[in-house]
Amino acid sequence: MTAVGLPVLVRLHLISRRVPATVIALVACGAVLRGALEWHWVKGSGNAALQFPTLFEAGTAAAIAVTTYGPFGEPERATGRWLPWLRLGTALLLTGVAIAVLAAGAAAANLPGGTLALARNVAGATGIGLLAAAVVGGALAWIGPMTYVVVAEVALSQSWTSPWTWPARPPHDRGAAICAAAVFVAGITITAVRGCRDSLSD
Amino acid sequence: MNVEITGLTRRFGRNQAVAGVDLRAGPGVFGLLGPNGAGKTSLLRMMATVIPPSSGRMLLLGRDPGSYEPRREIRQRLGYLPQSLGYYPGFTVVEFVEYFALLKDMPARQVPKAVAAAVERVDLGAKAKAKLRTLSGGMLRRVGIAQAIVNNPELLLLDEPTAGLDPEQRVQFRALLRDVGQNATVVVSTHLVEDVGAACTAVALMDAGKIVFQGTPAELTARGEGTTAAGDAPLERGYTAVLAQARS
Repeated sequence: MTAVGLPVLVRLHLISRRVPATVIALVACGAVLRGALEWHWVKGSGNAALQFPTLFEAGTAAAIAVTTYGPFGEPERATGRWLPWLRLGTALLLTGVAIAVLAAGAAAANLPGGTLALARNVAGATGIGLLAAAVVGGALAWIGPMTYVVVAEVALSQSWTSPWTWPARPPHDRGAAICAAAVFVAGITITAVRGCRDSLSD
Repeated sequence: MNVEITGLTRRFGRNQAVAGVDLRAGPGVFGLLGPNGAGKTSLLRMMATVIPPSSGRMLLLGRDPGSYEPRREIRQRLGYLPQSLGYYPGFTVVEFVEYFALLKDMPARQVPKAVAAAVERVDLGAKAKAKLRTLSGGMLRRVGIAQAIVNNPELLLLDEPTAGLDPEQRVQFRALLRDVGQNATVVVSTHLVEDVGAACTAVALMDAGKIVFQGTPAELTARGEGTTAAGDAPLERGYTAVLAQARS
């Protein structure tokens, strides 16, 4: 395929994965986060102040994970070399958009933990969502981030120190950053190469 | 030979769906008959490179799909229509077929012409700009066939392709199969023996994961002659007779 066909292929792939609707949902998440910070819905300080933003980070990750679901099934998998790159590009694009809109939403107010922690948390939760897509399929992939956020909320309330509960760790905690990055890389690699699971019976 | 399969097996847990299949097929229309659960779909999915075999040897278009580069080359020259085809309802007919043409690595400049030709071949030219959500089940089936043939495949795999088509469309579809089969290997999995009789140059009958008959439709018909096998048509009686013999 020449460069002429690539933009068309990318456009059709993004539409088939409902990426435009997902971007709108991500922007809405950023707007609500901004409102929450601006109008002081977030009470408390330290870890308690992170509990509400963590919900948004997991929400954006769940939205990204669900886009791994493709409507076409096996005929799409039985095609050429482009599909893994399209999956990879879609996941990277949406993760970037999620981090950008949440960071923009938090820009006016002081988000506890800052943009660095936000990027780490979104990437880690997205990795969990992508791994969930590989195990249970794209349509149910939201289960991963939503389960993780429950654990994260407990970790925040009880100040756990495990690096695997990265939302409860400070922004410059190297272990938490490595854990979140490892989960993100694993998730994005598996879903790019293999795609999400088509059916639980396979 | 475009398809050379030796001792192919596929297990799903404890269930052996395909149990040591040997198959060779060159250009022409090859019918794959058998009852539900015989292993036809699993065999077709392995040939479509979407699931790997548990054991055995498979060469498609002279290449081993077990390795990345040969599999990529096979997929560029493959058309595949599964039993149930998913679609994005907001796509038009042209967008759907165009997406698959581009995924199959067709040169971008050839795509519009190839898409238009494929859509015309399944008699959907008048619906080219229609959204898929507005089409009937039979029309969606024809859209699925269009995506499978858009790249002029050398190996075309169709799983129950005539399900949902009305009699007139089935007649047109059989003509299309014969046309494609002049240069390519077309493997059609079906329950409908009349499709095999009308369109296929060779036929295999599967039961319990094994091929229990391989020959021409005329030879399958002959297997039912002089027997008490059930069936409303000679080919059906041959089908029933072979199955009864295989199970006895």
